[in-house]
Amino acid sequence: MSPRVTADGEREEVTAVRKTFRGGVHPKEQKELSRDQKLCEFRPEAGTEMVYVLAQHIGKPAKAIVKKNDPVLVGQRIAEADGFVSANIICSCSGKVKAVEKRRTIAGSMLECIVVENDGEYTKAEGIGEKQDISSITKEEIISRVRDAGIVGLGGAGFPTSVKLAPKNPDAIKYVIANGAECEPYLTCNDRLMREYASEIVEGLEITLQLFPNAEGVIAIEKNKPEAIAAMESACVGKDKIRVLPLKTKYPQGGERSLISVIAGIDFPVSKLPADVGCIVDNVGTLYAVRQAVLYNEPLYMHVMTVSGDAVKEPKNLLVHDGTSFAQIADFCGGVKEGTELKKAICGGPMMGLALSSLEIPIHKTTNGLLLLSKDEVEKAEKQQTACLHCGRCTTVCPQGLNPGMMAETAEKGDYERYEKKLWGLECVACGSCSYICPAKRPLTQIFRQFKAEITAKKRAEAAKAAGGSK
Amino acid sequence: MSKLLNLSSGPQTRDRWTTQFIMYVVAASLIPTAVVGVVVNGLHALWIILASVGTAVLSEFLFDKICKKPDTWKDGSAVVTGLLLALSLSPSTPLYGPIIGAAFAIIVAKCCFGGLGKNFINPALAGRCFLLISFGKSMTLFEVDGVATATPVAELAAGKAVNITSMFLGTGGGVIGASILALLVGGLVLWAMDIIHGQICFSVIIGFTVFMGLFGGQGFDPKFLMAHLCGGGVIMGAFYMATDYTTSPVSRLGQTVYGLLIGVLGALFRVSGSAADSFSYSIIIGNLFTPLIETYVIPKPYAFRKNAIALQNGEPKLPFWKKIPKPVIVLTLIALVTGAALGGVYSMTKDTIEEQKRLEKLASYKEVLPEAESFEADPQLDMKIAGIGGYYGTDFGKATINEAIIGKDASGAITGYGISVTSGDGYDGNITLSMGIGADGVLQGISFTELHETAGMGMQAAEPSFYEQFKNRAVSSLKMLKGGGASAEDEIDGISGCTYTSSAVTNAVNAGLDFYNNVLKGGSFGE
Repeated sequence: MSPRVTADGEREEVTAVRKTFRGGVHPKEQKELSRDQKLCEFRPEAGTEMVYVLAQHIGKPAKAIVKKNDPVLVGQRIAEADGFVSANIICSCSGKVKAVEKRRTIAGSMLECIVVENDGEYTKAEGIGEKQDISSITKEEIISRVRDAGIVGLGGAGFPTSVKLAPKNPDAIKYVIANGAECEPYLTCNDRLMREYASEIVEGLEITLQLFPNAEGVIAIEKNKPEAIAAMESACVGKDKIRVLPLKTKYPQGGERSLISVIAGIDFPVSKLPADVGCIVDNVGTLYAVRQAVLYNEPLYMHVMTVSGDAVKEPKNLLVHDGTSFAQIADFCGGVKEGTELKKAICGGPMMGLALSSLEIPIHKTTNGLLLLSKDEVEKAEKQQTACLHCGRCTTVCPQGLNPGMMAETAEKGDYERYEKKLWGLECVACGSCSYICPAKRPLTQIFRQFKAEITAKKRAEAAKAAGGSK
Repeated sequence: MSKLLNLSSGPQTRDRWTTQFIMYVVAASLIPTAVVGVVVNGLHALWIILASVGTAVLSEFLFDKICKKPDTWKDGSAVVTGLLLALSLSPSTPLYGPIIGAAFAIIVAKCCFGGLGKNFINPALAGRCFLLISFGKSMTLFEVDGVATATPVAELAAGKAVNITSMFLGTGGGVIGASILALLVGGLVLWAMDIIHGQICFSVIIGFTVFMGLFGGQGFDPKFLMAHLCGGGVIMGAFYMATDYTTSPVSRLGQTVYGLLIGVLGALFRVSGSAADSFSYSIIIGNLFTPLIETYVIPKPYAFRKNAIALQNGEPKLPFWKKIPKPVIVLTLIALVTGAALGGVYSMTKDTIEEQKRLEKLASYKEVLPEAESFEADPQLDMKIAGIGGYYGTDFGKATINEAIIGKDASGAITGYGISVTSGDGYDGNITLSMGIGADGVLQGISFTELHETAGMGMQAAEPSFYEQFKNRAVSSLKMLKGGGASAEDEIDGISGCTYTSSAVTNAVNAGLDFYNNVLKGGSFGE
């Protein structure tokens, strides 16, 4: 691992278990568009609608605890976690609840949402933002504050952080990894966050480390962000349990499996969680949110986000309020550049992100990017599609060590048995590397996602049948 | 903002490399080889290349049109096939060769199986082998400055010295794409660009070299190995033919197995086979093994490998040898055992085969010199024959005098001479025959010791109606009449429809007669 700097300024060189993970691709970075834009807060004006989706995390949707015409304030809980794996929803503006109804969401479906009419005042609820004394805080208190704050993994998946921080055996955790890899092209918001809020992130990491007595903190950053590496290194000076690890610039470096493969040297199947192999991986944004929640009683209602792409007038790195719509954010960045036509809008980065059918859709807590593009690469790729050449590029880039070409062939034949047992098809993490690299432009990842859903549905049906039969 | 935008499943960005791009890079990497081929062999080579590429592209275009399939001729794979086919042909091939070959390669070997990515053998090799089998004679005619010569590999097989430098540069004869230097430049560029897989090309070369060194008969002599590597399409096969995406395995482990298989087979064919084009066949056999390899050699995902499982369970890292997957160990053992068995059988039977050959030859001398009781070699005669070097004279085609022995009766008096002659002009490979000439100079008869002509056609030479014509001819030269009707003492009826075979035999006999009259009996003998 890279240098750990002690309080006396001594640099200690330690090597990582692996130089890099196996496989991976290197898409054009495109980060220069927005990497020099400072983070700035965007507050939608009075009279605008803020829409809070109840299912914006992994797990059960939250339950609304406000109703029409209820007044709400910034930081107020408006929906409550329903069950263990679920998260609270926090209001990010002050105003009045307009409706609780179904709205179009990022994935395209209509989901239950709380619609709030923003009064533009941003009045905070009582106690929000007050500094807390945490000198004698217990582990349970930390986890409950994180839970109350509605914090979910901000890397993209949105897994409730309080659940992640409470593994079965906290003493077996060896590494708490602060994920600042940001391997998606275009996105620079975590880069900016690390450059501007380095010590806050380290505070968040230290709070997290309190939960795991045997763990050491590793801040993992891709080498294409030298300023962020320098900022984090200087924030870590004198902290014995934390070090910064520069990583090879390669997608999907920011995937938790890739990080663990490099840092702990362990590859593990999808049936296991990082905690099962002694690792906790949290995005730097999540750690910042943890710090805000524990130290300042500020729940998660704002997060960082990059607006970029060749069709946006002013690429920006923003601190956005949850519930804002993509259209409002695009307008704040000057809208579509003159002389270009908006062909495609992507929520997130181009590798894992979702294409948006329209911009009149609210953002989630986990939305870390909006890309406005004048070209649709997928449309172009469809025109270039040929039969599979068996070139084996997909096999080379698969970070899981799978054989995507064969998997696609098997999936097209509908052979569940071979797909799952012989080819380990369900180990696919849908990172998209195979689709990206395929010269024949086969939509491999799409095939795998669909086939996985089919298999899951089939298994569920079989289980239901078996349960019915036993009664 | 009400306009709906394009939706698509991720990833939303794609690499710039397309099928077309890869194919044209492969084609471009062959340009140096083609240029050297044209410069060395003259303009006819250029026409061959153009005819082959043109036909390949046109065939695919027409096939798609006629079968109402989507246009695929632009993807560049036909260009690569055409180019590879042309470069693996002899520079003196008549132009109908590449045209028929390319059409066969594209239509039969590729399009009929579903086009790009679906063919099960390399189309270029299929086209080449189709031509070799159908038009063997004109496809393997190698001429340098209008004079027929043997290819370096044929000479190597005959145990003669070859010029490795000229083979390396591509000026030593052989196919159009014979320049190893140019092929290596192109191949290594493709390897560096990650277009072809090192697992395949290097394991082909390693497998070939190791097998050749172990069982080639000359040990690991660098000159010998270099000569074999530089000749007979090993390098073109390793870098361009075996690496064909569609017909090679996808996984790295599978690729290594496949490459070694081709290398070993290629060397085996060269050590104990007869055809100089054996490397093409070894790649085709490798292609046929690909589906089998793909079914059984599927590497485990990283998370399921032994070392990863140990680490997941909190156990220490496994030492290197424990990380080797089982299939690798099993395959290595199989390779070692079969290799040792093959080598053992070969070296055990080698002497027996030689002895068998000697006895056969002796029997054939007996047949053509019935009066002789014993046969003796004559050192002076042997030296004379060694002094001829290469083909005998200029009037007998590719006839070579192998040996001549003296037949003696019980009292020790000379009853005649036995001469073994090989003609390289057979329709399919060499024809070797023994002829007996009595002490009076009369041709007493011939007997074949090597004949692989077409069954029912050239093979009729082995029937008494043909070879008995050569009995008791008191002439110094024979004439073969294609249409039959021989009546004069010096006339022979050819086998109807088998001009190549008939004239090869007649030429060989004439060479033997000439040798008898001018070298053995003539003034030059015993000087």
